[in-house]
Amino acid sequence: MVDNKISSAPIKYDNTFAKEIYSLENGHYVKMCMQCGMCAVSCATRQIMDYSPRRLFNLIRAGKKEEFMRSNTMWMCTTCCMCKVRCPRGIPLVDVMHDLKALALKQGYVEYPQAAFYQAMWAEAFGRGRVFEGGIMARFYLKRGWNEIKKALGMKDLGMEMLKHGRMPIVPPRKIKGLKSLQQIIQRAQSLQEKEAK
Amino acid sequence: MAKKTGVFICSGCGIGESLDVDALVKVAAKECKAPVCKTNGFLCGKEGVELIKQDIAAGELDCVLVVGCSNRVNYEAFDFGPSVVVERVNIREQVAWSQQPNDEDTQAMAEDYIRMYMAKAKTVEAPEPYIAENLSKTIMVVGGGLAGMTAAIEAAKANYQVLLVEKEAALGGWLNKVYKLAPVKAPHTELEDTNLEARIAEINDNPNIKVYTSAVIEKTAGGPGLFDVTIKQNGNEIIERAGAIVLATGAVPYNPEKLGHLGFGMSPNVITQSMFEEIAKKGTITRPSDGKEVKKIAFIQCAGSRDQEHLPYCSAACCIESIKQSLYLKEQDPEAQAYVFYKDIRSSGQYEHFYKKAQMAGVMFIKGDVTDVSEGDEGTLVIEADDLLMGDKTMADEIDLIVLANGMVPTTAFEEGVYMGLGAVAAVTEGAGEAAASCDAPAVPPATIIKSNILNLQYRQGPELPDLKYGFPDSHYICFPYETRRTGIYAAGSVRRPMDMGQSVGDGVGAALKAIQCVELTEQGAAVHPRALDISFPDFQLTRCTQCKRCTDECPFGAINEDEKGNPLINPTRCRRCSTCMGACPERIISFKNYSVPMIGNMLKAFEVPEEDEEKPRILIFACENDAIPAIDMAGISRLQLNAWIRIIPVRCLGSLSLVWINDAMSRGVDGVLLLGCKHGDDYQCHFMKGSELAEIRLSKVSETLDRLGLESERVQARTVSIMDYEVIPKMLAEFMEKIEELGPNPMKGF
Repeated sequence: MVDNKISSAPIKYDNTFAKEIYSLENGHYVKMCMQCGMCAVSCATRQIMDYSPRRLFNLIRAGKKEEFMRSNTMWMCTTCCMCKVRCPRGIPLVDVMHDLKALALKQGYVEYPQAAFYQAMWAEAFGRGRVFEGGIMARFYLKRGWNEIKKALGMKDLGMEMLKHGRMPIVPPRKIKGLKSLQQIIQRAQSLQEKEAK
Repeated sequence: MAKKTGVFICSGCGIGESLDVDALVKVAAKECKAPVCKTNGFLCGKEGVELIKQDIAAGELDCVLVVGCSNRVNYEAFDFGPSVVVERVNIREQVAWSQQPNDEDTQAMAEDYIRMYMAKAKTVEAPEPYIAENLSKTIMVVGGGLAGMTAAIEAAKANYQVLLVEKEAALGGWLNKVYKLAPVKAPHTELEDTNLEARIAEINDNPNIKVYTSAVIEKTAGGPGLFDVTIKQNGNEIIERAGAIVLATGAVPYNPEKLGHLGFGMSPNVITQSMFEEIAKKGTITRPSDGKEVKKIAFIQCAGSRDQEHLPYCSAACCIESIKQSLYLKEQDPEAQAYVFYKDIRSSGQYEHFYKKAQMAGVMFIKGDVTDVSEGDEGTLVIEADDLLMGDKTMADEIDLIVLANGMVPTTAFEEGVYMGLGAVAAVTEGAGEAAASCDAPAVPPATIIKSNILNLQYRQGPELPDLKYGFPDSHYICFPYETRRTGIYAAGSVRRPMDMGQSVGDGVGAALKAIQCVELTEQGAAVHPRALDISFPDFQLTRCTQCKRCTDECPFGAINEDEKGNPLINPTRCRRCSTCMGACPERIISFKNYSVPMIGNMLKAFEVPEEDEEKPRILIFACENDAIPAIDMAGISRLQLNAWIRIIPVRCLGSLSLVWINDAMSRGVDGVLLLGCKHGDDYQCHFMKGSELAEIRLSKVSETLDRLGLESERVQARTVSIMDYEVIPKMLAEFMEKIEELGPNPMKGF
């Protein structure tokens, strides 16, 4: 189990950061955590998380913003919903995790590959109305930088095989009809979400 | 004296299939010369009962032996009024169901039981109740707090006269000091008003309740139905007679002076929960040091409680109190920060909603051990703790106010205003142990009685209620709530165990009901729990008394006083009929009409002890009626095979064990004696507190007797069983049997 220590300075309870989290759409649920640990024992990916969801929530309440933002916990969430159905306090952990990821992206904490993947996927979906794997791949590796691109080139044989079997399209699909309207819908939804959270 | 005994043998429930009922009839009619002996295939049915009733009417039987099922079932079917003694011979659970069917040894066992009970029937008499004169049914409630007021109102509603005695000038107790109450009503999230005026008005308006405020109890004499209470009020002494007493004197906060390690006394801004209530009641919550409005507050839970050096127990109410108090601050200023440092949040039942409400309001709960409290800048405070959930050091600074949840101590735990901590109680017990060691016989350490100056009982064993643990005067938290070790005195509220307001209300109602049961049963001359409705009572032949004081010492309920010469003075209304005194008396002068030393003596002389060469040993079992007999019955119900050599005699409590029985049994050639009683010690299960413990102590003396007879002391052993232990009984008997076989047969056989 990865068990990152919290920085050795004693926790000084400061609720500025906690308040920032509480203002997210599902952020107020973090208050309700009673630290029973049911989420941690239910989590399929707990072994590779820096902090279990329970600990992550406690970091938020203790005001440890940097540790929180740099942790991989929310990125490792596979949204399997096991914690959500088991939480005795009824906290929709998956939704909270989603909000936390969104916040991290918004504030530029994108060091984990999952973050880049989320961004690439979303840009594709938003810009085309459908997903083009080649596009996602290109965006992902460009975001991750030169080292990752080198790694990707190492996999070129596999890529060639996939191309041969028609498993990877080269030509991007057409944009959907009424893409403008879809984008308007999404933007409207986003503004509504922000409003509601306040 | 019972002369005409009718024997009625039931052959139903598989008895007829596993035993030769005709042979049993022969034993009863020919050998034991019962004037009437009949059998029926369904004795508890209408016809069977009619059969017995006809014979009672025709033959004027005064004793009926019902040979069939256990006395734990069908007791209503076989109740033929107070003038007919009914003895139940259990050949169903103890013989037919737990022995080899149609076996010669099984048959012998059933026949022996008939012989034993026929022997008992010779001397058994129908008990007559002791009904005292001038019995009072008034219920006196001591303490006018929430539990006491509730008990008074409930008893008065049930149409009993109530005396409510309160030390302070006004009723209300702790409620006078609190700002608001934690929720007891749905949705269990809102703070509630104390509603004190309405409660007091309800008491003042009730014509059944007589209130004495600014009053203390000088003296409590007598017993249930006959308590003569001297109340001192404004210098006047008033004597009132009461039937039962509800003790609801509550608890006081643990002395915070002892909590220096949590910063009390270091800064005026470290206060207790009750001090915080005072501040909240005044209006704005401010710092005591400079009157600055509180912006950051910390609560330290278990300040004293669950701490071996202070109060080893959980004070039960403080978690909810702290949650409530944190909400006071959130009510005043939603932006203010509140931290609760806790060991475990114990928000039982519906309080979980209240806990959630505090979390929603933004109260921070930190599970951790507080390691240090120090002063910061400008009158602020700093808490350092080990955060157990993050596994790290933690620190909260710039705290304006620290509130210690300092727990509660029952008012019965103070002697002359001094809290008798654990050390003191231990010292008292040790001293008693030395005193006991110096006299010839080992004795059970007497119960600790802290002279808390509350009831001032005129009891030989001491002026207050015996302490169960930590100064709480209960007798068993789970099995007999409200019961103290003084009959007719029931504890309610936080004097009984630490509890919150909601539970105190429940306790007040419960104790009032117990008090009502007590006055009603006393009026009938019957015992209260656990031998409720038993109308027998001990009879002392005082001419033969040697003033040894064992009965007055050992009575678990302090029922026996002494005159100046040391003669026992029995208070029958205080008696719970455990017959511990009967077992204690070396002169055997104490007996009941339907239970006495000779009666059991006759029983154990009645069964047959085969000769040594027959290789059929005999084990006599004295089994406590409260737990051991039900356990044996349950073994029978589960069709577990029991040893074929046992003969069981039920006893009211192992405390009634007389050593002469063991002596008699051994000299008859019985190979072993096993005592089955309840668990004793700190978490005892004995229904009469010390019965099984006393029996074991008496046993330690029996080795002398056995040595005199040239026998091994291992032949007599005691075991503890609980009602759920029925599965282990066959093994227990087998092990004992093995031991006896090792020792070989009793050489006294045939003498």
